[in-house]
Amino acid sequence: MCALVSPNVVTAAPVARWDFGEEDVSRVVPVGAVQRDAVGPRPPEFPDFEINNTAAQFAGVGAHFALADTGTGSVLDFTNGDAITLEAWVKVEDWRANDTLYVIGKGRTGAAGFIADNQNWALRLRAIGGQFSLNFLFATTRDATASKKDAHWHRWTSARGFGPNTGWHHVAVTYRFGEPGSIRGWVDGKLQPGSWDMGGATTAAPVVDDDAVWIGSSMKGSASASFRGAMDGVALHRDIVSDAELKTRYRRVGGPVLANAAPAAPVVMPALGVLPVGRVLATFYEGMPAHDRWLLATEKLPAENARWMGTEFLLPRLPQRFDEWGIRASWQAPVLARLAADVALPAGTHRVVLRARGLTRLWANGAVVATTRAQKSDSGGHDPITRIAAPPLPGLRSVIFGIEEVFGEVVVPASGPVRFVVESLVGGKRYRPEPGELTVAVQTPDGRSYAVLQAGGAASGEPVALTDAAVTAALSRAEASLGALDDATRRVGGATQTSFWEDRHEAARQWSQRQPRLVVPAGPAHPIDAFLAAKVAGAERAAAQTPLAEAQKFHEEVLPILREACFRCHGEKEKGGLKLNTRAAALAGGESKRPAIVPGQAAASELVARIKHPDEEERMPPTGDALTPAQIAVLAAWINAGAEWPAPPLPPEIITPAPVLGDAAFLRRVYFDTVGVPPAERDVRSFLADRSPDKRERVIDRLLADERWADHWVSYWQDVLAENPSMLKPSLNNTGPFRWYLYDALRDGKPMDQLVTELILLRGSEREGGSAGFGMAADNDAPFAAKGHVIATAFLGIELQCARCHDSPYHSTKQRDLYALAAFFARKPVTVPNSSVVPAAFFEKKARESLIKVTLPPREAVAPIWPFASLTGVTDDASLDGLLRQPQDKRERLAALVTAPANTRFAQVIVNRVWKRLFGAGIVEPAHDWEGRDVSHPELLAWLAREFVVNNYDLRRLARLLLTSQSYQRAATGRNLSAPAAQRFFAAPEPRRLTAEQVVDSLFAVAGQPIDVEEITLDGEARRPADSFISLGVPRRAWMFASLSNERDRPSLNLPRAQLVVDVLEAFGWSGSRQSPRTDRESEANVLQPGVLANSVVSLWVTRAAVGSELAELAVNAASPEALAESLFLRFYGRWPSRAERLAVVRTLTPGFAERVLPSNEVRPVPRWPALPAVSWSNHLVAEANSIKLELEQRARAGPPADPRLRPAWRESLEDAAWGLINTREFVWLP
Amino acid sequence: MNRREFLNASVGAAWLPQWARAAGAPSPLLKGKAEHVISIWLGGGMGQIDTFDPKRRGDPLKKIAGSYYDSIPTAVSGVQICEHLKRTAPLMDRVTAVRSVFHDVIDEHAAATNRMHTGRSVSGSVAYPSLGSVVAHERRALQDGVPPYVLIGYPNVTRGPGFLGSRAGYLYLTDTRHGPAGLSRPEGMGADRQARRDALLADLRGQGAEVNDARLRDYEAAIDQSIRLSGPDFTRSFRLNEEKATLRESYGGEFGQRCLLARRLVESGVRFIEVSHNLNFINGTGWDVHNGGIKEQHGLIADLDQALAALITDLEAKRLLDRTLIVITSEFGRPPEFDSGGGRGHQGRAFTCVLAGGGLRHRGAFGETDELSKKIVHDPVSVPDLFATIHAAVGVDYTKNLYDGDRPVPITDGGRPISVLFG
Repeated sequence: MCALVSPNVVTAAPVARWDFGEEDVSRVVPVGAVQRDAVGPRPPEFPDFEINNTAAQFAGVGAHFALADTGTGSVLDFTNGDAITLEAWVKVEDWRANDTLYVIGKGRTGAAGFIADNQNWALRLRAIGGQFSLNFLFATTRDATASKKDAHWHRWTSARGFGPNTGWHHVAVTYRFGEPGSIRGWVDGKLQPGSWDMGGATTAAPVVDDDAVWIGSSMKGSASASFRGAMDGVALHRDIVSDAELKTRYRRVGGPVLANAAPAAPVVMPALGVLPVGRVLATFYEGMPAHDRWLLATEKLPAENARWMGTEFLLPRLPQRFDEWGIRASWQAPVLARLAADVALPAGTHRVVLRARGLTRLWANGAVVATTRAQKSDSGGHDPITRIAAPPLPGLRSVIFGIEEVFGEVVVPASGPVRFVVESLVGGKRYRPEPGELTVAVQTPDGRSYAVLQAGGAASGEPVALTDAAVTAALSRAEASLGALDDATRRVGGATQTSFWEDRHEAARQWSQRQPRLVVPAGPAHPIDAFLAAKVAGAERAAAQTPLAEAQKFHEEVLPILREACFRCHGEKEKGGLKLNTRAAALAGGESKRPAIVPGQAAASELVARIKHPDEEERMPPTGDALTPAQIAVLAAWINAGAEWPAPPLPPEIITPAPVLGDAAFLRRVYFDTVGVPPAERDVRSFLADRSPDKRERVIDRLLADERWADHWVSYWQDVLAENPSMLKPSLNNTGPFRWYLYDALRDGKPMDQLVTELILLRGSEREGGSAGFGMAADNDAPFAAKGHVIATAFLGIELQCARCHDSPYHSTKQRDLYALAAFFARKPVTVPNSSVVPAAFFEKKARESLIKVTLPPREAVAPIWPFASLTGVTDDASLDGLLRQPQDKRERLAALVTAPANTRFAQVIVNRVWKRLFGAGIVEPAHDWEGRDVSHPELLAWLAREFVVNNYDLRRLARLLLTSQSYQRAATGRNLSAPAAQRFFAAPEPRRLTAEQVVDSLFAVAGQPIDVEEITLDGEARRPADSFISLGVPRRAWMFASLSNERDRPSLNLPRAQLVVDVLEAFGWSGSRQSPRTDRESEANVLQPGVLANSVVSLWVTRAAVGSELAELAVNAASPEALAESLFLRFYGRWPSRAERLAVVRTLTPGFAERVLPSNEVRPVPRWPALPAVSWSNHLVAEANSIKLELEQRARAGPPADPRLRPAWRESLEDAAWGLINTREFVWLP
Repeated sequence: MNRREFLNASVGAAWLPQWARAAGAPSPLLKGKAEHVISIWLGGGMGQIDTFDPKRRGDPLKKIAGSYYDSIPTAVSGVQICEHLKRTAPLMDRVTAVRSVFHDVIDEHAAATNRMHTGRSVSGSVAYPSLGSVVAHERRALQDGVPPYVLIGYPNVTRGPGFLGSRAGYLYLTDTRHGPAGLSRPEGMGADRQARRDALLADLRGQGAEVNDARLRDYEAAIDQSIRLSGPDFTRSFRLNEEKATLRESYGGEFGQRCLLARRLVESGVRFIEVSHNLNFINGTGWDVHNGGIKEQHGLIADLDQALAALITDLEAKRLLDRTLIVITSEFGRPPEFDSGGGRGHQGRAFTCVLAGGGLRHRGAFGETDELSKKIVHDPVSVPDLFATIHAAVGVDYTKNLYDGDRPVPITDGGRPISVLFG
């Protein structure tokens, strides 16, 4: 709660006070990582507070609350003669020596437009001498002639304060400006002595301006000035609060804790009772008090959040955290990770090694045997390069960068189980909770190796030696197991929503029963085929009425001119009340009442007069070049001939159905359209051999149940929803990586209405994969308007780009409409930012009525009022409440308005998007902007949308409906995309090039190589918090890449291998930087596309018969050049070669085929690159970091080592054949 | 309202200044005669006070603000530059150090890089094109079969084409030992083996049925064009060993070789070449000389000096200097004060960008800052003004609109060229 009162009212009440309760703090704006539901001082310790008292939590680095100044003479301004009291409850949780943590201050925010050093007043805590002193600060006007540069600073510091980790304290200062002797400081109700320093005591007046008040930070959010911890009861008074009152402010049961009284909790191995046999029990506890110490005696271990059963003492990462709906959330770091098991060890002394990233301790049978230190923050890039550590013994795995390695000894008196427990603090307030590779290993009895510690018992696995190969394999087993745990946890969360969505879908079915029935026309068996055939039949009847030549002349010569020059405004819109897109409308005229067209009389037709008008202000069209004399002549001749408007001609090629694809082509197409990769050789062989009549339906069902469906679809929604994450400090309209939310939702088969609802509700983690990441828009002055734009194009087919600053010139949408959506998101009225206001000067200089209009008065607050009732069919009234959990929540209302069954636009837009993706052209084009567009098959679209709704908005069922039609399965010779709606018959789907993601995934798939690139992060050590640095993991599929651009041009920040893959993606139209939503990528062919397939390093990688690749294995095992050639065609193209093709490849493969495999005694071991020191953000500004990355670039260019079993000369021929196969058009175009 | 206040008031309203300014008297369109641009990017932020706008010496140890180095006279009387620019100093009559560039982005490299490449602040609704993309879009390449825009440096979003689309994008390479990604054959690919591959590919391509869809034909044509471009003609531009050894040496190290390559690309018809000076292994930080990064800054400056002087001299010898505008920019400048490690922070409110050649009337320096290069005292040049100057020099109408779909976007944010450099 905050209250502001007039300064001339004399009262003991403060002018402003913040208790950070649940009520809305209307005038104070949270900025950065602050939250208002932290635990405040509470009884029984602090009996004066309410039992559930809450406080504000500040994460530091700029996190603060801001209160704008109201102007000159405001209650926040203090000058000589004014009395001030500042007080607060504080609990400091994190600091560094010499930090000066701002509790509250006015000025010095670093905002533009103010002089530097404009501190009117401030209360701070200084971390000096192992304690926190009170600190009061203000600045006077700077005297340039002063000998000391800080003479204008006036700072009073208390001699004593309170110690670290001592819980809640009350602090206060009182002062009368102009009277330096009046300063008094209080800690926990005790007066504190202190002294003035820097510029010393002064009678001069402080600097006063209109800069803001900040709570919790200052100086542009400087880290060392930002409070880390909790605050409560922050108050500002315009008088001196009396000693008597301040003495009673602090009341704690047991008295004040000024020094660090609480001792550390005793170091005792946790008693865990009986542990599972053969399993390592991992348990996780979030919200530990600090990353650099264990619990104090007064602190309790937080509740367990997660548990996982591993097989080794090896932890690659924490389990994923989910909110109660199963949406990715963030861990509240630091997290305590505890691994425990009983291990069978023989009697004797055993040497163990512990590897951990943060503060860690390892017990064996109750005794601590090894510890590692707490994580430390980095120097911002100047840390030294760390040499590769020598392994504990030759041939073993070296400790990875950023992990500490320590050794210890365990004495086992008698053979038997030994209980091992390791506790590690993972992450912290300034560190991401990523443990790296937490490992415990024990030396083998022969002393020659180490083995990762495993739980004893029958269920234990094979021993895991501490070698690269064995540990890597164990890590991927652990990863798979954690993944399964994540899936289970997420689905448990998701299941809490099931009944809600079942009810919604039941309501949708009931709604649909109340609607008029939609009838499938008679004809072909599949409804889609029947609808398409019906349109053809109708068009044939209409076309029969006009001679073909006449119809062609109008549609090929006349109509294109009208469409190009007129329909933008007089067709799709109705400028001047005039439409020109039908004969009847043109004859009727517009507001002027003059008919635009008088048949037979061009000279009398207003249309001709306007296009010929000599005055530019009168001439049409209003923008761009005037029509050419030839174009004018065509129109005039048409009008003089009677202005007939015949039905379009029907050339047979646009209505005659293309032949249905053969099995091989069908299989390849349907694989790409469902799982995004081509079928494997065995899949092709078995499908082609299958003689059963329903094999196409069966393969469709199998593929729709395949989880790779999610891989295929994530990338589409990344574009449409403008997913735009950045590895480092978000800027350039960056969002969070909500790819992970989309991926989870698609894998779990969430209905589309649920997916969209959860997206709009912005849940879970913003920077670690929740749908909240969708809500972020860095550096954007109106992020919620940006989101309104995205959801309108994505789900409603409404384009609002122009509405950011003005009403749309070519659409009926208004600026108000966009900001109304923003207001729903914001849950309150919003105003248009100044940077999105069209200046009045623009309109003044325009003589003609401007195409753009601003009907929204500047600075008017736009309320959350649903603007699209008539467009969508859904109205925002009580009828909606049944679809809502919290009807008063505006954001949830928006989600329901978009996804309600009554919103027929939503289902149709989704259907059209899926249709377009599978047929290459939409029933409505473009798919993201429907206004004024004709629907090629309105009945079909309505029927499909209805099917979608009554089938639970299930994307896969919708896809099944489309994929099983004959129309989908025809040869790709369609010309629908460029045709007007009336001429779109879908007699054949469009030819489609693979998407960028499909190209990359195919390249690695046909080679049988994994995508082998770096982790997508610039801080592999997790030494920076998620709000500035994130990891997007190691990509497994192409959609997992992200923009690698960091605008810093430092070689040390390059990810050489990932960059090479991104080059291929970008050549084919992918962009990791998605600043705006995009439905249609650029599709024009360009020279770089075949270029990267022919010449890129990725092409070199995938065509190489590399060690461990399927291509090499195929070559080694091939029976004959002919058989190998066949396998290659099945692999690369999913079909048998023609005779000539087989011959061409066999010619290449035959010389040397018989001798291609070297005798085993001639096989040379594969050379390995020597390891290089790691480069991370922490050391990237060191010169050597750049040289290391240049060396890695060079290694990436060299490509993977070839399979040494193959004789190089023959291997090169095989690679040439593979190269040839990926460089044809067929490889990158769907059949 | 003076010019700076006006700009400050309009931050973010992309098209505001031009509309408002258009009310004043129209000035004649300036048009230079340059055909190419070589844009040198000093990633990190070149400290103007240590290079092209030197002031009195400071002392990093005693924290006395000022230049790190001594300054020396140049070919232009009254214009001094840093002592480590000794090869450029005699050529300053072909150069104008624009000492009064300013913007309002300070602490964030990404945002400032964006500003200095697109001339705009970030917009929520428009992805703006880079300067190179605009020039490529407006003027295309001089020759068929040659890309209009080549980047020698790392691919970045802000160097990209934004709403202009990939045709206005760049072809990039990260160093001169390798040709552009996608158009140069992999290392170790001999001519014989490539010929065998091409023959096999021709065989495979010859097998398919004839296509009559334009999209498929276009792709087939792109394959043919790619084979041509990867062949000897265009990739020859990248073979620096065809140059005389003495000339190569005169350009200096890797950065110099990039500049030499840029000259060869100019000769082949490329319109805009951005060359990144990111030789960060010299000092670790590149031009971002916080703390200890400044200790080896003179090495960076000398590296730039050698290459720049060689480029100017070489272009002049080939009669290309008047046709080729050289531009040197970076995120921002640096303040005269020293940080706790003896280096420097960032300064956006006054810094230097450099123009050379391009047929401009050079004057050694334009614009003036105060005694410590902290504030502009004469002739402020906004980033849009700098961009308009570059556009005008290379014959692009700096008053026209580009179109993001239907939406008109002025080519610069109301920039006006520095008129004294023309005519």
